Amino acid sequence: MKKKILIVGGGTAGTMTANNLAKKLMYEIDKDEVEITMISNSKYHYYRPGAMYVAFHKASGHEFVREQRTLLMPEVKFLVDEAIEIDTNSNYVKGKSGTKYSYDFVILATGCEVAVDRIPGLKEGGNWFYSYDGAKKLAEKFAELKKGRVLVTVNFPKTPDVPHQCGIAPIETTIMLHDYLKEQGIREDIEIIYTYPKVAQAVTDGLFLQGPTSKVLPSIFDGIGVKYKTSFTLNKVDPEKKIAYSEEGEEIEFDILMSTPPFIATKFIRESGLSKAVDDEGWLPTDKKTLKVKGYENIYTLGDTVDLPVSKAGGTIHNQTDVVADNIASEIRYGYPTESYDGKVIAIAQMGLSCGMPLWYDYKEDVQPTPCSKLGSFVRKGFNMGIYWAAARGMV
Amino acid sequence: MSEKVEVLKTKEMQELEEKFAMLVQTGRIDNIIDLLAVVSDNIEMTTAPMVDKMVGTIDNLATAGFITQNAVRYANREIKKNEVPSLFGLLKLLKDEDTRKGLAFVLHLTKGIGKQV
Repeated sequence: MKKKILIVGGGTAGTMTANNLAKKLMYEIDKDEVEITMISNSKYHYYRPGAMYVAFHKASGHEFVREQRTLLMPEVKFLVDEAIEIDTNSNYVKGKSGTKYSYDFVILATGCEVAVDRIPGLKEGGNWFYSYDGAKKLAEKFAELKKGRVLVTVNFPKTPDVPHQCGIAPIETTIMLHDYLKEQGIREDIEIIYTYPKVAQAVTDGLFLQGPTSKVLPSIFDGIGVKYKTSFTLNKVDPEKKIAYSEEGEEIEFDILMSTPPFIATKFIRESGLSKAVDDEGWLPTDKKTLKVKGYENIYTLGDTVDLPVSKAGGTIHNQTDVVADNIASEIRYGYPTESYDGKVIAIAQMGLSCGMPLWYDYKEDVQPTPCSKLGSFVRKGFNMGIYWAAARGMV
Repeated sequence: MSEKVEVLKTKEMQELEEKFAMLVQTGRIDNIIDLLAVVSDNIEMTTAPMVDKMVGTIDNLATAGFITQNAVRYANREIKKNEVPSLFGLLKLLKDEDTRKGLAFVLHLTKGIGKQV
């Protein structure tokens, strides 16, 4: 009997996993024993971190978009359809088209989405670089800015120990902003204030979600004249008066509010009944080692949808995808999973426009800040502009 | 009345010194320094647009490799699965949309080469 593997979501997690699975299971595919299908709500694939560069006029955006079909191996059947329902008893996912996609194994890789509505006034008063449209609006505002104050705010999910999308992005963009304003010759006329909420994953009253980096940040910010403030948990924005209010009772005026907004899982996952995350955030209860959804033997998940304490970013997915592919291949061949995820995250942070900082951590060890370098920046930019597509195709 | 100053070295520093001493004694240290200088010069002289262009070229090669590798594997599988088609069978293959798309691609590819030779 042919085994059906269904992948829901055509982002980084879904694409890498589809190709890695096809490679891993080529023997079974050749014998017509395995079928891999992907459904995605878009014909296109977006490289999300690219948006950050759009905000600072370092890319126009189209460089980071490709047709999904061109990134998938021909052994992966690709269909554009939006998942709306999952039936875990009868093992099928229903699409918006009405089609029921049955599966023996399903991989839920639908990512997360910006939920600005969760903070009153943020939609009207704030800007964010987590989407191309958002980044373009921010770029327009930066182009007009001649003097004033840019306020950086960060929001964390209410679910304990879960980070927002791309943990390091607020720091990256704050330093990029400093460099960008210097490049424009207007840094002296613009004040940058970086704020962090009281509770940020494992850290309280800090400037980053992990201890060692949180401690080293004040000296970095002092060095470039960025002001900073801990325990500023954004809870309201007045878009008319341009004032940001915190849960702690403080208020800060701004000219531009560059915000890391609240994130939640996609509607399909939130309505699937699989999550018990607080505040209807929808994170899937994930076994930290096998990457199965807890309580289900044939449902795997990875990437931004999980409730694990690791970054919601491509550098995480790159390590998770091999575990998921190996485990599903083992289940098909031997009847049990064989690999275990150790929480490894590897990335290069863009610390300003021309400095890249390699970083790595796992469940046991926090990120150890390392010096950033010009070479690091080249590797990061090289990854953005080309190596990413090879990684998505399962070539790297 | 000179005081004896003892410099305490860590085990790692001692090991490093021994390794470097070996390089100095054998004259190979000059080559290492030259190599580091070349690497450093290359980093200094590289600009962001150069990186963009280089990576673009690598990406094009990787894309071509991905398409070719997949197509060869697919063709191999199909050849093994089916008998060698007759002349009529070959025409039947042309009814398939993907085959026609691939064939059109090859013809455009030929035209693209023609434009450059």
